Amino acid sequence: MNQFSEDEIGKLLRLKKFEQPPPGYFENFLHEFHRRQRDELLREPLWRICLQRAQDFMFRLNVRTLASYPVAVTAVLICAAVISLKVYQAPETEKVATANRAPVIATTTIPDSNWSLSNPTATRDFGPTLVRTVKDSSHTHRATTTRYVLDSTPVSYEPALRF
Amino acid sequence: MEQPRSDEDQQLVARTQNGEAAAFDQLVVKYTPRLYGLVYNMTSNHEDTNDLLQDVFSKAYKSIGGFRGKSSFYTWIHSIAVNMTLNFLKKRGRRFHLSLDDMDASVQNDKEFLELTATSSPVREADLSELQRRLNEAMLKLSDEHRAVVTMFHIQGMPHAEISKILRVSEGTVRSRLFYANRQLQNYLEEFRKNPVS
Repeated sequence: MNQFSEDEIGKLLRLKKFEQPPPGYFENFLHEFHRRQRDELLREPLWRICLQRAQDFMFRLNVRTLASYPVAVTAVLICAAVISLKVYQAPETEKVATANRAPVIATTTIPDSNWSLSNPTATRDFGPTLVRTVKDSSHTHRATTTRYVLDSTPVSYEPALRF
Repeated sequence: MEQPRSDEDQQLVARTQNGEAAAFDQLVVKYTPRLYGLVYNMTSNHEDTNDLLQDVFSKAYKSIGGFRGKSSFYTWIHSIAVNMTLNFLKKRGRRFHLSLDDMDASVQNDKEFLELTATSSPVREADLSELQRRLNEAMLKLSDEHRAVVTMFHIQGMPHAEISKILRVSEGTVRSRLFYANRQLQNYLEEFRKNPVS
C-alpha cells in the first residue's frame, strides 16, 4: 500500500498556514486588546489593583537581589535585638533597686551598746546609702532565695558586736 | 518560520518593564500573526483562538515585570500561549464546533501546493475546502499534546530544540511525539487517498 510519506504529510500540513482570519483581523486586534484591558481594569476591585501595583513596585526594586544577603540581614537583626535588650534591661535594674530603697519605713538606730544576739533583726545605721529596713534584714535571714545583697556579706552573717 | 531578532525584543521588553505601554503594543503587533497560527491550529476554532490570544497577551503584560530574560521573549510568549491553550482544550473536552478560517487564495500559487497537486492524485482531485476539512479532521483526532507538537513543527516550522524549550520536555520526547503523530496522520489520511472526493 502506498501511504502518504512523512514528507507529503508535512507538505499537506504546511498548507494549513494559508488558513487566515478575516481581512482586517490583525489590524483590529490591538484595538480590541486595549478595549479589553480597560474593561478588566474597571471590573477589578480596588484592593487587587493596589496589590498589583505593589507587586510591580517590588519587581522594579528587584527585591531578590536585596534578599541575597540573608546573612548580613540576619546579623544586623540579631545585633539590633541584643542592643535593644541591653538598653531595655539596664535602667530597669536601677529602678528595682531604687524602688526597694524608697519605702524605707523606719530606721532604728540602736546604740552600739545594745547590740546583742538576742536582737537579730536590729540594724546598724551606716549612713544614708546603706539604710536597710527591719523587714528586709529579716528576709535575708529567712528567705530561701536572696533577692540582692547590698553589702559584701549579709547583715545577718556579721558577727555580733560586743563592746 | 524565521525567529524574530531577540535583541529587538529585549529592548521592547525592557521599555515595557519601565512602564512604556507602547513598547508592549509593538510586541503584540509583532507576535499576533505567529501566535494566531499556533493557537488556531490547536483549537480549530476562530472565536476560541481570538479569546485565547487576548488572554495570552493580557497575561504576558501582567507578568512581564517578572520576565528576567533567561529565555528569549519568543520562547516565553510561546510557552504562555501553548500552556493556556492546552489548559483550555482540557476544559473544553470534546464539546466544540469547528469554526475554520478560509484558505487564502494565494495557496494556489504556493510551490508546495503545486508540487502536491502535480504528484498526489488525492490532492489533485479534491477541492481546497475538502482538503482543508480532511486535514483538520485528521489533526483533531490527535491528542492535544501531539497536535501541539505537529502544529509547531510542521505548520510553524520550529526546530525540535525550540519546541522542547517551549513545552519544557526533552528533545527526545518531542521527536517521539512527532513520530507517533505522523504515524497516526498517515493512517487517517489514507482514507483520503482511497476515497478523495467522498
